[in-house]
Amino acid sequence: MRIHQLLSGAGPHDAITSEAVSFRSRFHQWGWEGKDYAVHVAPGLNGHIRTLKRFKPQPKDVLLIHHSAGAPRLRELLALPNRKLLLYHNVTPAHWFWEHAPNVAVQCAVGREQLPGLVRGVEVAAADSAFNAAELEALGATRTAVIPLLVDYGRLGTPPPASASGAPGPPTILFVGRLSPHKHQDEIIRTFSYYRRFRAPDARLILVGDPISSRYLELLRQLAETLAPGAVSIESGLSNAELGERYRAAHVFLCLSAHEGFCIPVIEAFSQGLPVIARPAGAIPETTGDAALLVDDTDLAVLAELIHLAVTDAELRAELRRRGEARLGDYAPDVVADRLREAVEAAIS
Amino acid sequence: MTDPGNAIEQARAAAATMRAQGAYGEVQPAQRGEDTLATTLEDLFEWAMIDPDLREVRSTRKLGAPVTLLKLGLVRLLQQYHAELISQQTRFNVHVLGHVRRLETRVEELERIAGSREPDPDPDRVE
Repeated sequence: MRIHQLLSGAGPHDAITSEAVSFRSRFHQWGWEGKDYAVHVAPGLNGHIRTLKRFKPQPKDVLLIHHSAGAPRLRELLALPNRKLLLYHNVTPAHWFWEHAPNVAVQCAVGREQLPGLVRGVEVAAADSAFNAAELEALGATRTAVIPLLVDYGRLGTPPPASASGAPGPPTILFVGRLSPHKHQDEIIRTFSYYRRFRAPDARLILVGDPISSRYLELLRQLAETLAPGAVSIESGLSNAELGERYRAAHVFLCLSAHEGFCIPVIEAFSQGLPVIARPAGAIPETTGDAALLVDDTDLAVLAELIHLAVTDAELRAELRRRGEARLGDYAPDVVADRLREAVEAAIS
Repeated sequence: MTDPGNAIEQARAAAATMRAQGAYGEVQPAQRGEDTLATTLEDLFEWAMIDPDLREVRSTRKLGAPVTLLKLGLVRLLQQYHAELISQQTRFNVHVLGHVRRLETRVEELERIAGSREPDPDPDRVE
């Protein structure tokens, strides 16, 4: 069998690109051929992903379409006679981006507009969470499947041994994710400023992620300097080893996103034994199960106190670590690979 | 030990105790509302004046500083062309928005007039 993967964009630090590369190595193991293509290919991929302009499938080839943003030539693609499997990674609603990143907003708006056509044009509509699959079902998809994101948390290195006090050093709060309005790093900074002021004057906050725009990064820096001068680091472009170090140096992973279609960093935090506090937004409750403290309170003092509890209560930390490790089993590469194979086979049956 | 299931209740209680002791001040609600993100006509007028951020003209490669300089040099060389492009696009945007604003005002006026009329007691009656 030959199966081609099609992505809207591909980059060296992009989770969907990494997943496509991992899928390709599984396809090789199963004896399936094919190539991977993207509309926009960033430098640094060493030829793993080709530009879509070179895409010329044979009629019997299977197409796996990863959808996470608007893509040109989609109607042309859907008109091809090939069997098709959609893998929907969610498209963030455009209204989060119009102000700070209109180019991203346009891609998201188009991506959402394209979704009904995609659902109609494929044999099986899969998604990486039940939350995302529900969106497809609402658009009329009848054959759906859930294929969780393949999270390669091994690249972060070995988790630290369990200890009562967590990582050495001052209390450190971490969030990893694109610096973007819907991820609410602004709220994380506000919450952290409360925690630092009333519970841990030496605390640090580390925000890791590529900014959605330079202007938005500047706004976050200004907010951090106003509310917690010198205590907030904003970093991007980290290597896997550096990212692993950030996880291991932290005491709490704090995620206040308003929209998440899966949230890989939560799984990465589990893999490094880090307690997770998160908003129950989008797919987060499904991704975390009972392994995170899910809080919907709008009073930032409650969030600050919850951080304090997660930092200082050793037994609570140990229990969350145990639950997090158990949760990782659901996202083991072999489990995801089995689901992927089932979905592909359903698309060709 | 704090059971994870009780942790949030415990945090709420601690926040209330701390607040009673003078910490945290007034409740500062999180700024989360998606309802505040609806695009208004004022937003559109602000966005109509195109103003590209030159900080976005850069190379994302490692050691990309020379490439960034080259890109910025090209932007500078094409300044007249971009000024012409921006002025024509902005002219269109501003005129369309002016038109939309006039239409909105007219619709509001018509709705007000329709609302102040006496309702027809029998709209199906044929004269």
